[in-house]
Amino acid sequence: MSAPSGAARRAGGALLGLWYMLTVLFLFAPIVTSIVYSFNLGSLNKQTSAFTGWTLAWFADAWNNNSLRHAVEISLTASFWSAIVAVILGTCLGFALVRHPRPLVRRLLSGLTYILLIVPETVIGVSLLLFYAVTRIRLGMPTLVAGITPLAIAVTALIVRAGVLTLDRRLEDAAADLGAVRWKALWFVVLPHLAPAVLAAALMSYVFSFDNLVISSFLTTPSISTLPVYLYGSLQYGPSPAVYAAATSVFIFTIVLVALAGLLYRVVLRRGPRPVRPR
Amino acid sequence: MLHFRNGQISRRSLLQLMAAAPAAAGLSQLLPTAANAAGALNIFSWPDYFSTDDLAAYAKKSGVTPNIATYNDDGALFSKLNSPAGAGFDIVIPSSGWIQQLAAKNLLAPLDHSKIDFSALDPSLLNRDYDPGNKYSIPKDWGLLGVVYDPDAVGGEIKTWQDFFDAGAKPNVSGKVRLTKDAGETVGPALWLAGKDWNTATADDIRGTADFLKGFAKHVKTFAGFDPAALASGAIVLAQANQSAARGAIQQNPKLKWVVPGPHSEIWVDSYAIAAQAENSDQAYDFLNFFLSPDIQVKETEYIGYPAAIAGLQGKLSSDTKNADLIFGGAGVDFASLTSFIVNPDTIDVYQEVQNEVQAAAGA
Amino acid sequence: MADSTNSLVSKPAGRSPAAGRALDHLLAALPALWLLVVFVAPLGFTLVFSFGHSSFGGIKLGFTLDNYAQALSGFYLESFLRTIQFAVSGCILCLLVAYPAALFIARQPPTRRTPLLLLVLVPYFTSFLIRVMSWQIILARGGPAEFALNLLHLLNGPLDVLDTQTAVFIGLVYAYLPIAVVPIYLVLARIPQPLIEASRDLGGSALQTFWHVILPLSRPGLATAALLTGVPMLGELVIPVLLGGDKGVLMGMAISQQYLATQNYALGSAMAVLVLIAVAVMVALLVRLTRGFEEISA
Repeated sequence: MSAPSGAARRAGGALLGLWYMLTVLFLFAPIVTSIVYSFNLGSLNKQTSAFTGWTLAWFADAWNNNSLRHAVEISLTASFWSAIVAVILGTCLGFALVRHPRPLVRRLLSGLTYILLIVPETVIGVSLLLFYAVTRIRLGMPTLVAGITPLAIAVTALIVRAGVLTLDRRLEDAAADLGAVRWKALWFVVLPHLAPAVLAAALMSYVFSFDNLVISSFLTTPSISTLPVYLYGSLQYGPSPAVYAAATSVFIFTIVLVALAGLLYRVVLRRGPRPVRPR
Repeated sequence: MLHFRNGQISRRSLLQLMAAAPAAAGLSQLLPTAANAAGALNIFSWPDYFSTDDLAAYAKKSGVTPNIATYNDDGALFSKLNSPAGAGFDIVIPSSGWIQQLAAKNLLAPLDHSKIDFSALDPSLLNRDYDPGNKYSIPKDWGLLGVVYDPDAVGGEIKTWQDFFDAGAKPNVSGKVRLTKDAGETVGPALWLAGKDWNTATADDIRGTADFLKGFAKHVKTFAGFDPAALASGAIVLAQANQSAARGAIQQNPKLKWVVPGPHSEIWVDSYAIAAQAENSDQAYDFLNFFLSPDIQVKETEYIGYPAAIAGLQGKLSSDTKNADLIFGGAGVDFASLTSFIVNPDTIDVYQEVQNEVQAAAGA
Repeated sequence: MADSTNSLVSKPAGRSPAAGRALDHLLAALPALWLLVVFVAPLGFTLVFSFGHSSFGGIKLGFTLDNYAQALSGFYLESFLRTIQFAVSGCILCLLVAYPAALFIARQPPTRRTPLLLLVLVPYFTSFLIRVMSWQIILARGGPAEFALNLLHLLNGPLDVLDTQTAVFIGLVYAYLPIAVVPIYLVLARIPQPLIEASRDLGGSALQTFWHVILPLSRPGLATAALLTGVPMLGELVIPVLLGGDKGVLMGMAISQQYLATQNYALGSAMAVLVLIAVAVMVALLVRLTRGFEEISA
């Protein structure tokens, strides 16, 4: 590595680092703002742009607001289940999109995946409402989860597919040559390599499911209402800082959960995974 | 269940462990919920439309904690109730405009007047054209369509809708105007200036306002929800708004002025109604009677900032309520000149078309 | 593409190729069946309604092309074209911001990558709407952004970016950034280091290595990111309203209004079907043109 290109590479690396930092700042700015403003006194029980004073009252208010608290609980639960379904089905789909032996099937699956992204949410929402009405299925948590999984599955499938495309096919061939049954080859050889993609997709599915607004608003029932629906409705007459307090609580809760998970992961699996020995 | 592979906890079983807690919570949601032993009450409303204290007081008195689900659009309320999947709601809070259509589709239950105490309500809010005889609805709170503006930027006072439109074209004001997103409230002022009534206007009348409004659109900065901060900071100097939103803006910037322009304007009334398929009607009437008592209504008004529909409310508000008169639209409102919009299937699509074209023209 | 079952056929060790194929079919069938029930079947309703006669809040089944005629009328067509332009711009902007960030993370030693990636994803653990509402606070006149820009002398005087297209694009990039970063990063992280070193050993500068080696190899990631950002942007409802002043009517809002405000399910369905067809065609063309989905062979 000659000196000039080394310097150029270092400069490039520094620029990239700067870009990354600016990006992170950009991403965190609204988070910090929303956390700070959940302590804002506001004006006439509504949130204000200018900071009017510090108070902790909104957290208590949010907790006592049954409707808001319930919406948060439902949102957390529904998006958790949706993420589980999306990860399982999305990984299968993402893998099949690349590895299914018949090109026609791959093309059909591709089309299906794209349609999941293309169809406007209002259309899906109304269609689902009418569909459940005709089929006499009662609305509830299962129908809510079912309604928001398609988007999550599409996201997961495409991310996993990007991951599968970078796989070395010879890995699977080698596993087969060593006598592994196909499903074992997939489970023990391919899946660990796909793990970063799958985990990233799981996180994204959870996030997108949590934030789902339009479809959820069609599938709400007296006992099932979600936080985004509540938030968007509060824009009609002006949100109060209580919803900011609720969002801050959710944020802290999720961070703690993910941090705990990461900690557990690292503490228990202190050593790297041992190579699988052929039987 | 942990299982060990090569002497370590496998990754997969760890994930299973972590999933256990929320899964337990999740599972309970999947089980069919039995109705509460003490009875239930399901309400479909805008968010934050009932004060937490009053709901708690009701729960204490009756033993029933109402479930309040929220919607974010009048049309969504209609769609939800219109589908068999909308079963399960007892009390709904439609806006005055949609009551006729909801009733036409038999989605609302006729009220049993013997079970409700109307005596405390303001008579001028009862028996209005959107629901004659209050067959289906009880007024909850009301609002006016008016204009809040910065008199210095506008350079004078606004008394009529013509003044409003003229002001919007002025150099200091153009580009800092807010129109509402509601098709009726955008087209209405133009219709009123042409001497028409927005409930009897024909499709041609409505279409006729399009050119004028599209010409005005280039002065408009936003159609989105009213933001008091924008008016406080001067980003917007002329805005259509309801009186409570204006009150919020004036609270932050006292030099702003509010007016309900002539020759006509709107009064809307968000109302209590009982869904046709309500399963807890008795509980619903119990709730309504509790909430319609003057003491509760005073507290509701102070909480949500919109005037409840009881008689003599203004005198009953506590004296430290800021800008209390603005809650009622301020002084000098000619209530006789106010009308409520009623959604009419024959014209609503034309209204919406004009609204879309105006919004598109603003963004061009 | 080589049939993945070939290698099994030539092996003496036990398993029949049929079992392998059964697994492939299962992997395809499971999600397909689920989606058929919860997504495709309801969509069938939409298709049927699009040919029906509109009535307020209901549908009279029948066969008419009136809805399609109306949906193809001048106003909606303009709206559709504007939406495409909007989504393409937003998508390109988003990718431009995401790529360097993803590249930075991918260049780090493996142990550092996860926390760096997580840092990009952590903001998304809180409600999207609250974050957009917070952008309203940040970008407001007299708000923190104005303060910071004035401090840095990048701006003199009030900040008037709220309720403009600029604010909308800021919000759009903000919203779709993680979904763009993740697939790009995943592909970049898999580019074998020996390839990069070989390029340098052969005398390539950093820029040349990037342009001739890294960028082409990251095509699948870019294509995935483009799809995951550009297509949903076509239906974007919230950001143009909250940050853009709800000016200009985009397709998502136009269709939504047909269903909610005008209760015209027939017209809304026709518009949805048209959007579906048009976008499907565009995506198919994009895939064909860029051939961005081909495998990397190491």
